[in-house]
Amino acid sequence: MKRTRFIVAVAIVVGLALAAPALLVPALAPAAEDLKIALVVPLSGRWARQGQLKKMGAEMAIAEINGAGGIKALGGAKIVLREADAGDSVEKAVSAAQRAIGREKISAGIGAWLSSFTLGVTEVAERLEVPWFTLSYADSITERGFKYTFQSSPVSSFQAEQALELLVEIAKRNNQPIKKAAIVGDNTAATVFFFKPLREKLLRAKGIDVVVDEVWTPPLADATAIVQKLRATQPDVVFYGATNFPDSIQVLQKIKEFGVKSPIQGVGAWLVTPEYVKSVGPELLDNIKTVVAAHPLKGQDELVRRFKERTGEPFMTQDPLMSYAHVWIIKEAAERAKSTDPKAIREAVAKLDLTSGPAASALAPGRIRYDERGRRVGAAPIIVQWQKGEPFTVAPAELATRTLVWQMK
Amino acid sequence: MSIGDLLQYVVTGLLVGGVYALMSIGLALIFGVMRVVNFAQGDFMMLGMYVTYFLATGYGVDPLLGALVVIPPFFLLGLGVHRALLSRVTGGGDPQRLMDAQLILTLGLSLIITNATTMLLTPMPRGIKTAYATQAFAVGPVLFNQARSYAFLMALLLAGAVYVFLTRTDVGKALRAAADEPEAAGYQGIDVRAMHGLAFGVGIALVAAAGGLLATYHPIEPTVAVNFIVLMFVAVVLGGLGSIPGAFAGGLVIGLVQSLTLLVLPFQLQNVGVFIAFLLVLYLRPQGLFGQRLRAV
Repeated sequence: MKRTRFIVAVAIVVGLALAAPALLVPALAPAAEDLKIALVVPLSGRWARQGQLKKMGAEMAIAEINGAGGIKALGGAKIVLREADAGDSVEKAVSAAQRAIGREKISAGIGAWLSSFTLGVTEVAERLEVPWFTLSYADSITERGFKYTFQSSPVSSFQAEQALELLVEIAKRNNQPIKKAAIVGDNTAATVFFFKPLREKLLRAKGIDVVVDEVWTPPLADATAIVQKLRATQPDVVFYGATNFPDSIQVLQKIKEFGVKSPIQGVGAWLVTPEYVKSVGPELLDNIKTVVAAHPLKGQDELVRRFKERTGEPFMTQDPLMSYAHVWIIKEAAERAKSTDPKAIREAVAKLDLTSGPAASALAPGRIRYDERGRRVGAAPIIVQWQKGEPFTVAPAELATRTLVWQMK
Repeated sequence: MSIGDLLQYVVTGLLVGGVYALMSIGLALIFGVMRVVNFAQGDFMMLGMYVTYFLATGYGVDPLLGALVVIPPFFLLGLGVHRALLSRVTGGGDPQRLMDAQLILTLGLSLIITNATTMLLTPMPRGIKTAYATQAFAVGPVLFNQARSYAFLMALLLAGAVYVFLTRTDVGKALRAAADEPEAAGYQGIDVRAMHGLAFGVGIALVAAAGGLLATYHPIEPTVAVNFIVLMFVAVVLGGLGSIPGAFAGGLVIGLVQSLTLLVLPFQLQNVGVFIAFLLVLYLRPQGLFGQRLRAV
């Protein structure tokens, strides 16, 4: 009898414990006027780390905005983040966006990191008329006449052009003119769009020969053959796009093993995550450069300090910086629209021209304005270089936090 | 292309293939004895990589030694998983239903292990920094990457140990008997279920050791298995389903073909060579390189 009573008591306690979250939900649910932002990024699969970093940036901006009284034009409305896992395929990313935007009223969205995912996710956002912000690079994202897509990064082809200009100039200044170049990387969308103009016209126009051109489908089984070619041809610069972390580590380890000294010029922010230091050590990374759409600039020390303190990350990079800026842009648009309605916010974003405040100061050249295609006006690539285990902005010179070193160690 | 370059491609292929080979023999053993296609095999390899990583970063254990240290705990883990889960879907019963249940079970196990690891350890990639990952032994113009050379030798050693165990010990012979003719083995007093457990334990321990060796030069993340599981299956079928020497040879062949394919095809088609070789073997020798042809009576 006692035992039965004991079992009944345990059952009730367990039942209550299980039901508690459900019972509490109405009490904790956000008030109706809150502004909801969807964040669709990979939170599982091989790109999950990038999704995590993006989430950190968005959460930091939301904490700052809500902590300072929310959106004033909406009576102090708070911003709420609704995250959805884009996983590791376009199908998963699209279905995550459909779930996130379709289930409740979402005022704006951010995502989905990988260009191929963003192409799919922005189609959903366009159909459901929700303004969508992305850091993805591929040109095609804003070549489809969409009204609701806002691309904050310089597009890949423009990055290639600008980065090459910067590099040729720096190489000349260092008395190391570029005559031979190598193109080495995977065939993901952003890398393809960066390499295509280089291969087809830009390098030829500068009188530079392509001596190695090797592209693979991730994962890479072994990097020996590629690095062997680099050793044999000794290019003056290696354009490098290995977005999959294990592939990139293999290539870098082989470069060290084979003693290749050609300067490495990465294409994307994947090359400046803290995991690189932990996996291969700072010595192997020293002086490797990469082109990114955003990176902490001169005068942003306070922002970086707050980010490091909040997250425990050793430094801040493009991914959290961009989502931080995107949340602030949405906040500014909501202030002007005086509404949480996605269409009203879209109209406000289209008219936005910010030159001060956290959003504008986060992204070079300090201005937030989008053209009729949804591309950010004035967005230009930044060159970041690993120096003693930390990536610093080294070009353009007026935004740099360190001086660029041309030669590899 | 010089002879030196060609030799480099061959050496690279064989060194990569050595670890594929060790990964594959565990799978072959489990299939050979239990007739179970273990989709979670790659996930146990991933767990082996993580344990080696934590031993290296937490206790300073060199990953080459770590690869041996993981063998006993993963053997026990394999025994436990067999007893708790797989023993319920192996043995007597309708073979078709059992096979369905095994597929669902191992696939489910794989999903659970990957996602639980992502939740517990985060998706952040980790790597063990070893000096030998970026150093090489130079033999004339050919470079032998040190990490891969050590991993290759260890793989050879472990595969040799398994071979001796299976052919020279009573338990090994009993295991093979249970694989070849379970019913007759039962009549001879061999506990077939215990043999299944043993095979699963050894199979998991081997793949965990392969994971430990892989961790000497390959980054670790919860989804790392995806990159290898297909190659493991190809190696096992290529070598002859269930054959241990066959799976070992299959692994080496895959590494070699992957590397030599680059002499004629661009990088983007690196695995095309592997699958062409696979189809050729299936066409010319359907029983696999080391498999035995079964004749209908």
